[in-house]
Amino acid sequence: MAPFITLDGLCKSFLGDHQVLNGVSLEVEDGEVLVLLGPSGSGKTTLLRLIAGFEVPDEGNILVSGKDITGQPPERRNIGMVFQHYALFPHLSVAENVAFGLHNRSLSGDEEAKRVAEVLELVDLAGYEERRVQQLSGGQQQRVALARALAPGPSLMLLDEPLSNLDPDLRERTRRQLRRAVKSIGISAVWVTHEQEEAFDVADRIALLNDGVLEQIGTAEQLYLEPRSSFVAGFVGRASSLTGELLADRRVRFGDERFVGRGVTWSVTVVGPREAGARVEVVFRPESLELSPADHPEALSARVESKHYVGDATFYNLILEQGGSLVVRGSLGQADSGDRAWVTLRNDGPSPRAFPAFTEEPI
Amino acid sequence: MSAVRRHPLALVLALVITWLVGYPILVTALEALGLPAELTLVHFAEFARYGGEWQALWQSLWISALSVVFSALIGVPLAFIFERTEFPGRKVLGALIAMPVALPPLVGVIAFLFLYGESGFVSRGVQHLFGLAQPPWRLVGPGAILLVHAYSMYVYFYLFARASLSRLDASMLEAAASLGAGRWRTLWRVVMPILSPALIGAALLTFMTSLASFSAPYIFGGGFRVMTTQIVASKLNGETAMAQVETITLAAMALLGLWVMRRVDSGDTAVVGGVRGLAPSRRVLRSPAARLLATAAGWSLALFLLLPHLTLLLISFVPPGTWTVEAFPPILDGGNYVSLWSQPERLRPVLNSLWMATVATLGAVGLGLAAARQSIKAGGRLGRALETLIALPWALPGTVFAVALATTFAVHRPWVGRFVLVGTPWILPLAYMVRSLPVTGRSALAGSRQLDGSLEEAAASLGAGRWRRLVKVVFPMLRPAIFAGASLAFITALGDFVTSIVLYTFDTRPISIEILSSLRLQDTGIAAVYGVFLMVVSGTAFVVWGRDQRI
Repeated sequence: MAPFITLDGLCKSFLGDHQVLNGVSLEVEDGEVLVLLGPSGSGKTTLLRLIAGFEVPDEGNILVSGKDITGQPPERRNIGMVFQHYALFPHLSVAENVAFGLHNRSLSGDEEAKRVAEVLELVDLAGYEERRVQQLSGGQQQRVALARALAPGPSLMLLDEPLSNLDPDLRERTRRQLRRAVKSIGISAVWVTHEQEEAFDVADRIALLNDGVLEQIGTAEQLYLEPRSSFVAGFVGRASSLTGELLADRRVRFGDERFVGRGVTWSVTVVGPREAGARVEVVFRPESLELSPADHPEALSARVESKHYVGDATFYNLILEQGGSLVVRGSLGQADSGDRAWVTLRNDGPSPRAFPAFTEEPI
Repeated sequence: MSAVRRHPLALVLALVITWLVGYPILVTALEALGLPAELTLVHFAEFARYGGEWQALWQSLWISALSVVFSALIGVPLAFIFERTEFPGRKVLGALIAMPVALPPLVGVIAFLFLYGESGFVSRGVQHLFGLAQPPWRLVGPGAILLVHAYSMYVYFYLFARASLSRLDASMLEAAASLGAGRWRTLWRVVMPILSPALIGAALLTFMTSLASFSAPYIFGGGFRVMTTQIVASKLNGETAMAQVETITLAAMALLGLWVMRRVDSGDTAVVGGVRGLAPSRRVLRSPAARLLATAAGWSLALFLLLPHLTLLLISFVPPGTWTVEAFPPILDGGNYVSLWSQPERLRPVLNSLWMATVATLGAVGLGLAAARQSIKAGGRLGRALETLIALPWALPGTVFAVALATTFAVHRPWVGRFVLVGTPWILPLAYMVRSLPVTGRSALAGSRQLDGSLEEAAASLGAGRWRRLVKVVFPMLRPAIFAGASLAFITALGDFVTSIVLYTFDTRPISIEILSSLRLQDTGIAAVYGVFLMVVSGTAFVVWGRDQRI
């Protein structure tokens, strides 16, 4: 299937030299919800504003259905947008807000009212037409903003941190409603958030940005289980890492017999350079590791620094004897703070991933 | 009643301010109705019968309405230029063109006279250029009044619209664009409606200021009478009862304006979504030609708006009797300034104005601060009543107050709260103080509301008594607000003309009255020196005020 939107090598800098986006290229499929995820300042909102036409890229192109719209003003793009603070017009009623984008659709009064009712129905706000927007709750204002953006029948929907103003429990409910509404119309959407849980819940695919660069794009599972960089591994889900020496056969040795008496070797998935002897940073998911009741040759010796109970599991923070720390998922009561413990690699957990190491700490 | 018992000081203050603000109006209304002798509507009937009165009323209304239109036509585009585009000198010019609001109206009026009047620079220039025997125009009648009004009152539209534009959420404009609205549709359907409360506010303020305007109609009106000049004419002609009826009519109109203003002050454009977004960034003019054009336009506009005041400065250096038919004054020296400082009779009005304005400001600050704090403490109906009382003199034209005070404090009846103050040195400071109460009271109210209550509680928990809390915590925190209110009060009192002309005596004549008599004696240089003095002091106080207002 041909991509619906193609972003090709987008660069943008502000104030002369501050590079906010650095050659971002990605594609959005027809009907897909793509989430732009990343820490603050990673460039995700700027990317969204480039697609909307509020900013012009310094370099690169934006194509919709193969047609270049890079230079088109926002009002000609037929792209709907939901703003972080909703940007509802305070002087207009709910219905007037929703009808605002219908003016050049040459609809009769009845047709317009029908369209307004339709989209309000879609966002569960039927009957709210005459309300003032100030009279609505945060969640309702949020849905009016969505209805307003949907009313003109946009070809693409952009959502800029649409849930950041809502209470946590309302957030979860509203994000499902938003996704359902967008999916029921079948249009593509680009959704900006910095919350991983939100991204996982609503995205078909996630594009993870860091410092103006696209780190990885893929499904939530791909990002979690097959991160392409230690940044992705660290940003998505819990992770801890150790530096080690890459051996042959995709194994890594941690520790050094010269200093602590022995080395332990574990098998990993290697991402990047594969020469034996290279230093690598190995990232572990907590469920890749387990606490071992007693010492054995494949275990790293550690001390339990703290434990964090989250209901269905307990996470143990361990300080390794050889230096460094790891987080291990276990069950309640396996160990207490201050206890001596041993860590081993599980056979059935996600495979740890080894990335080229940049640090010079001893292995 | 319990609120009253719990806050006795609030009640005392409410009574004092009522006595100073409401009572004189009430006394005037009662006397206009023939009381205490006998209740009669004869004076009102006379007012209604006489065509000249209706004409003055009608003229007041349409002059005010047109002043609103012209002020908006100047002020709103200026606000857009200075808030939405970026060009060299924008900040300085943006502050400079707000200056006319701080200058005493009389100063603006004589500055206009010297620039555009019959023997002003512009008309002399035109006369010389075309070799005319007569000056090309006379600055007289409604046109002249409108010119001065538009010139001094555009600032309300400019400041209100600018403030509103600066608070505009950029995402509103982006939302409109993403919904397909072009520049014009966004302007008319989004920006203007959001600006409309500010514009309506500015319109009402301009309307009421224009309704109360006295200096411009008095100097330029000629035979064209408006209500304020009509009242003063009746009073000076000794038609006291008629002056009282006119006063009550004008007061009723002003109070109606205040009522409308409070109605309109709705929360229509309250923020939706909890947090307000960022203001749109100013359009930076990139092409050198556009930048040059904008800069040149901005500077010449500012120069044009400040030209009357520069003229005033120039005239102050023209020795008496040396400028007759030439286009430009042949001699300039500092003689006028020397004669002002060396002749006690000429210095007298300056000293009078200074001490009266100082006393009035101190009184207004004290009373305003006390009333503001008590209003917040008492809350409820008593608090609201105090707040309304503080704001009331703002809505009432100076002429109304002058006549009301002259009526109330001309007889000695201590048991009904009336004392003879007319003719004493105390009536003018009292009048100035009452008129300044809204500015000092309102800034103290605003300051007190922003004051974190827990600071005072923290001081109390550390053992500070009421007085120590006031001196060590409240005053230092409120100082910017007090200062701001005090500087505006001082400007108003120092340059006051409208109440002074009704209430002054020879010994207490203030600067404004002396300007008028110097003009009558053709002593334009001295009049200009007084004008420059007012301008410099007011300008300085305005800068002090502006530092806290961040305009």
